[in-house]
Amino acid sequence: MDSLSLIREFLQGRLGVEPEKIVPGAFLDELGVDSLMVLELMFEFEDRFGVTLAKDLKTPRTIGEMASLMDRLRSEEQS
Amino acid sequence: MNRCRVAITGLGLVSPFGNSLADFFQRLLNGESAVRLLRLDDPPRALAIPFVSCPGFAAETVLGKALAGTMDRFAQLGTAAAFAAWDDAGLGRRPGAENRERWGVTWGTALGGTLAYEKGYRELWQKGRERISPLSVILGMNNAANAHISIQLALGGVSMSYTVACASSSIAIGEAFRRVRSGEAPIMLTGGSDVPQAYGVARAWEALRVLASGDETTSATACRPFSADRSGLVLGEGGAALVLEDWEHATARGARIHGEMLGYGTTCDHAHLVRPEVDGQMRALRATLVDAALNPDDVDYINAHGTATVEGDPVEVDAIRAIFGSGRKKPALSGTKSMHGHLLGAAGAMEAIVTILALREQALPPTAHLDRIDPACAGVDHVTSARCGGSLRTALSNSFAFGGSNAVLAFRTAASG
Repeated sequence: MDSLSLIREFLQGRLGVEPEKIVPGAFLDELGVDSLMVLELMFEFEDRFGVTLAKDLKTPRTIGEMASLMDRLRSEEQS
Repeated sequence: MNRCRVAITGLGLVSPFGNSLADFFQRLLNGESAVRLLRLDDPPRALAIPFVSCPGFAAETVLGKALAGTMDRFAQLGTAAAFAAWDDAGLGRRPGAENRERWGVTWGTALGGTLAYEKGYRELWQKGRERISPLSVILGMNNAANAHISIQLALGGVSMSYTVACASSSIAIGEAFRRVRSGEAPIMLTGGSDVPQAYGVARAWEALRVLASGDETTSATACRPFSADRSGLVLGEGGAALVLEDWEHATARGARIHGEMLGYGTTCDHAHLVRPEVDGQMRALRATLVDAALNPDDVDYINAHGTATVEGDPVEVDAIRAIFGSGRKKPALSGTKSMHGHLLGAAGAMEAIVTILALREQALPPTAHLDRIDPACAGVDHVTSARCGGSLRTALSNSFAFGGSNAVLAFRTAASG
């Protein structure tokens, strides 16, 4: 599963957001994602992909920023 | 000292009988029990106890998926009950022109978010994981329900939780009452919620040897307050909420008034953690009568704490006999936990609603299954089947908790003032 699909699955299950609204340009706060939900999503990401996020990560503002962050961390982990 | 009259303008509940006040009260008048056998097949050992659940409660439907997902079940039940009471009071979920900066919440819960904590413990100790959900703290904290309620309804005054075992929500109501009566807050939303079916919590109560026993066929009649063959209490989940409002504020906005709250008294036995004392309960009853400016003869009905434990019921009856026994009339007494179970931190609020509805509807629900009164519980006017009609004006609701904390609330009909 790629990062965007994980984000889509999480937001659909947790918030009931329609998948077609979960696009790279969508802002997290406009989708109803607050800081606690970002924490939940990070936790889910760490669990699924076996990576550990640094505590001082900059909070992403959009779906695209979040997916890029996840992709980068996964590729660093794999290399 | 100027004192505001306190109107009860909203009632709401999530009960085993659903969230309709009329249906809930009618079923109590019918003597209908909500107690069923609960099976918890969780490891390490299956558990089966008589219990009261709210199976019809769908948190995501009532609260929405996003909000429900940030709450443990106790906060879901509480917020749903609070919303129902708020709607019943004719108040908007979001503020209009009114200033809500002094409006507040007091909430009772004995257990808080125990399901969230237990889930975390299972992850750590049973599944061997090294970490748990980042929401565990906010799901589990005891003040989660009142915090959510304050946020959702934009209430800027106090937001406090009270954890006083079985008296939690009675004390929350009493403290809200004092704030309205003193003029500190024109409106307070108050009540309680609890969810005692976490495996560890149920096992803890079982170990205390105070739970009623029962199976598939006998569970419905397992809770038998004041009965010679009572065997203990029946735990239950639920939420109940009241809107208390300055009488003038309520009448100025044309609110429907269910009844009036007259007084509140609270004491501590200061004697033993679990063995109740007559003296402490008598002092709570007396303090409430003084606070409400009532004489014992004024009281028409008492909704008993009546948990159906072997030790607790006779002590409560002794206290009632001592305060009301020498008067020209005895107040009617019933223990409705026989039907809706013991909701721990929500018990006082649920029973306050029963008491207010009894006055409003001029009808007394019975103590169910009371075929044979224990001689140690005799000498009071037990309601063994519903009584309708009459002229009820004033009633009390008792809550006597482990730890020796006692709370009594006094109410009267809206038309009596």
